[in-house]
Amino acid sequence: MHMVKPKAKGWFAVTLAASMLLGACGSGSGDAQTKSGAASSGESGEKVSFTLGYASGDPAARKAISDTVQRFMDEHPNIEIKDISDNSASSYLDWLKTKDAVGEFPDLVEMRDTEVFADAGKIVELPSDLLELFDSPPEVEGKVWNAPLALNVPQGIIYSKKAYADAGIAELPKTYDEFLAVQEKLKASGLSPLVVGGKDIFHMGFWVNKFLIDDVYAQDPDWNSKKTAQEVSFADDNVVQAMTDFKFLFRNYVDKGWLSTPDNQTASILVSGKAAQLFSGTWMFSQIEEADPSFEYGFYAVPDREGHVNVIGLPSPAGWTLSAEAAKDPAKTEAIKSFIRYFFEPEQYSLYLASLNGIPSTKEKVEYEASPAMQSALDLMNDSDVTKSLAINNWWGENLIPPQFRNWFYKKLQEMVASDGDVTDYMKQIDTEYDAQVKANSM
Amino acid sequence: MGTPASTAGLRVKSKTRRKRSNANSFALLFILPSLILYTLFVIVPTLGSVYLSFTSWDGISEDVRFIGLANFAEIFQSPRVHNALKNTLVLTISLVLLENIAAIAMALMVDRVRWFKNLFRSLFYFPTLLSGVVMGFVWAMILNYNFGVFNQILNAVGLGSWAIDWLGNPDYAMISIILSTVWKGAGYYMIIYLAGLQGIPTELSEAASIDGASGWQQFRFITFPLLAGSLTVCMVLSTISALKIFDQIAVMTDGGPGFATETLTYIIYKVGFGELRQGFGTALALVLFVLILIVTIIQVQILRKREVQY
Repeated sequence: MHMVKPKAKGWFAVTLAASMLLGACGSGSGDAQTKSGAASSGESGEKVSFTLGYASGDPAARKAISDTVQRFMDEHPNIEIKDISDNSASSYLDWLKTKDAVGEFPDLVEMRDTEVFADAGKIVELPSDLLELFDSPPEVEGKVWNAPLALNVPQGIIYSKKAYADAGIAELPKTYDEFLAVQEKLKASGLSPLVVGGKDIFHMGFWVNKFLIDDVYAQDPDWNSKKTAQEVSFADDNVVQAMTDFKFLFRNYVDKGWLSTPDNQTASILVSGKAAQLFSGTWMFSQIEEADPSFEYGFYAVPDREGHVNVIGLPSPAGWTLSAEAAKDPAKTEAIKSFIRYFFEPEQYSLYLASLNGIPSTKEKVEYEASPAMQSALDLMNDSDVTKSLAINNWWGENLIPPQFRNWFYKKLQEMVASDGDVTDYMKQIDTEYDAQVKANSM
Repeated sequence: MGTPASTAGLRVKSKTRRKRSNANSFALLFILPSLILYTLFVIVPTLGSVYLSFTSWDGISEDVRFIGLANFAEIFQSPRVHNALKNTLVLTISLVLLENIAAIAMALMVDRVRWFKNLFRSLFYFPTLLSGVVMGFVWAMILNYNFGVFNQILNAVGLGSWAIDWLGNPDYAMISIILSTVWKGAGYYMIIYLAGLQGIPTELSEAASIDGASGWQQFRFITFPLLAGSLTVCMVLSTISALKIFDQIAVMTDGGPGFATETLTYIIYKVGFGELRQGFGTALALVLFVLILIVTIIQVQILRKREVQY
């Protein structure tokens, strides 16, 4: 079970359900879904084996999944799960595509680029009898493809309470300008205000999307589709403003080594006191507590200039997905379904969620002990005044961006910051590249 | 009708020809299994990929659409590809020069040193035994800005201001990759140069020494010209290896920061696998193949001309 440090303790019994966030409360269908598939092939006596692949970069999530897999296999001796995940891969999509190229596409895969792989015929819809586990899972092309591992969690500032106190910061910022004033105070106190794991390209997305959401997606959730139709541009004032803020922050308040710092070093740098803050998601809480159980930290979302709070928090089509190859084998399909049911059983699922401070996607209530920082994140999710949005690459349907764009875009922004490039010039280049990629993909 | 002598001559010739033909057939028999496997697993897929370069295939779907020369047109217009080409050339020229200079220096040292000859030989050769990935991880740890040994040493000796982000600073990332790759690769070429040095008759140096030639003059006019054969081999091998460098970049910088260390081989992988543009990646691979072929032919032609034998 997830543990919080004694100081911060005070049971925050989190009764979480997808319904809390999505407005509908479903009643779990009890035994039928918690008995791990009574008709599973694992119980028929015949040995069934399937491969499992997931994004294993986060050590806590990796351990939670591998522990669940082990428990499942202990309880289902006739089902063997071969975990082929690779936590050394810098990009999950690269790894998945490479696995596909060598004919080792996982039978059960954590899918993030659902539309791309669905269009390629590599994955199949989620079996209809599993749909009852979830409350309103997102649909792509009118179909549900994934069993969502968890709902998207908000990202925000994870800060050292000691660093804030030492710098004389008594109140959390209510506007973006106040946030910048906080950075100035931290810098004056001799600390690196922010640590960023820019070596891992996905980490770049945390800040980039904070600014994009504030200036673009909060006002226009369909901006991506308009960009694809060339009705808007990256060189428009709102995007230029977002990226100007991004560049200003990075050039002035981010730790010098950010371009070669991997995501998995950020928690160590924070707890070592070298940097005062980290902008990330709730999954980092366990890493921080593991790095230093006595480290006192808080969490808040960075407001925009007008004081509005906009965070990542809409559901997106991602999660456990069956490969088309595995779906051809009924025994394998049954074994996979059995595992999915097991994974989302409250007693199993709560362990997974606790390890990465996740928000459950299931209808059935799941409880685990949450830290005060996690409670702040949950408050954000439950606050109707907080705008929920998605990262640039997590939209789908008409709002799907070219799959090759995200990494290129983030790298281009790294280059812009490192070379002190002109934001408008860079945005024009980015706009041209986006259009070129749309054109290339339409050929 | 020929004379008996000429008939005997013809018979000998025909016997020789038959012997040679038998030997050739015998040799072919040995080559055949490898040839079949090589054809099946290298030549056929390579030729098959030529077609893919004219398609917009994403690498995962069944849909393989023919788009003519569009991929090649994009290659010649893409600033990203131009940047990768520039990086590849900088990397290749630097690596070829530095690796060979370091290898010759090490070979001369190992050849002439009286004590610990084998120890030095092993020490210099050892890094070549590491895979590019392992070497990349090791150097990435050494050069890490926050926790790396290199910056910690600089801080410890009072040179903290010199401690920079070796792999995250666009001005230093390429230099860091070049130097670490020289560390890994030079030992291999040292062995080839060492073999060349040991084939040079010692009388030549002795005679030059008696004639009053300095050490540098002996190297410039005797040793270096006689190393030309080794130089040709090492230059060609190091050029091909530098043009194809991948592991170190993947592990140490992922082509970054930004696109500062993205080379042609790396961009082929990134667009082909990470960006779902297998057709474009294949077209780039073909361009790289042609580039390597041209560079190698020119290099061999030039270097062969300056090979000498006393």
